[in-house]
Amino acid sequence: MSEAENQIMSWRPGEPLQLETERFRLRSLTPADATITYVSWWNDPEVQEGLNFPARGWDRDRAIEHISQFDNKTGFHLGIFCKDTDRMIGFFAAFPRPGTKVAKTNIVIGEKDYWGKNVVQEVRARMLTFLFEVMGMEKVKGEIQGRNYPSIFNYKAMGFTCEGVLRNDIPRFDGNGRTDVFVFGLLRDEWESMKAKSPSDG
Amino acid sequence: MVNDASVTDDGLQAARQLLAAVLEMEEADIADDAGIGRLAGWDSLAHMRLIMAMEAQMGATLSPGNVVGIGSLQDVATVLSGGEVSVTGF
Repeated sequence: MSEAENQIMSWRPGEPLQLETERFRLRSLTPADATITYVSWWNDPEVQEGLNFPARGWDRDRAIEHISQFDNKTGFHLGIFCKDTDRMIGFFAAFPRPGTKVAKTNIVIGEKDYWGKNVVQEVRARMLTFLFEVMGMEKVKGEIQGRNYPSIFNYKAMGFTCEGVLRNDIPRFDGNGRTDVFVFGLLRDEWESMKAKSPSDG
Repeated sequence: MVNDASVTDDGLQAARQLLAAVLEMEEADIADDAGIGRLAGWDSLAHMRLIMAMEAQMGATLSPGNVVGIGSLQDVATVLSGGEVSVTGF
């Protein structure tokens, strides 16, 4: 068992979280992680378009403010770091709600040379294990804007069900009309069934 | 998921041609049951290129159901033929 896996066994809500996949290390971000690269993702129109936002115009202080709002209990903001280079390439956010046992998640791969490299599925699979097994969630869901085709692909490929389309639910970030929102969900028993078929994904 | 009855051999071949072009692979390497998770190269970026190529070819924006539902060669053929693919959960 790796050091990170040992840490998760003793992890308590509110403490920084660290997880590992085959290629990546995920850990709770701190203000020190508000690097030029991290800030640049918030100001990159191409990265933000997938979130239906324009470039945010953030500076380092605004990025630190964002990072600081996550408590590692009901909100997680994990950087995605390559194991071999320790380069941060994106982040994963999760919002588990103990009352309903439903967690919302989203993910951003900021470094474009990692787009199309199966990062999302590898990282999300590890987060699903954490959310279902450690946090006791019964459902994990994500909401994405209707033109975010790569995200749609990743949810479908991971066995999530599209539970509905919220038609013209939000204004487009560029002011050009409105856009649909797709709601994808995965239930605990569906995840357990998939995990039983391919246990290495967990 | 797809209504196979609406897909002709010509429709399937047209879909195969488009998918091969998007994935930059030989048509012969795309089996009739090709789909997400069953065809190497059909990744998230390829999926985005596929949807955009379909919209360009059809000259129209795909319906939400089709955007979410497309997951196989058969689905591509159905949509290119003017059909709708169904999505579990709707």
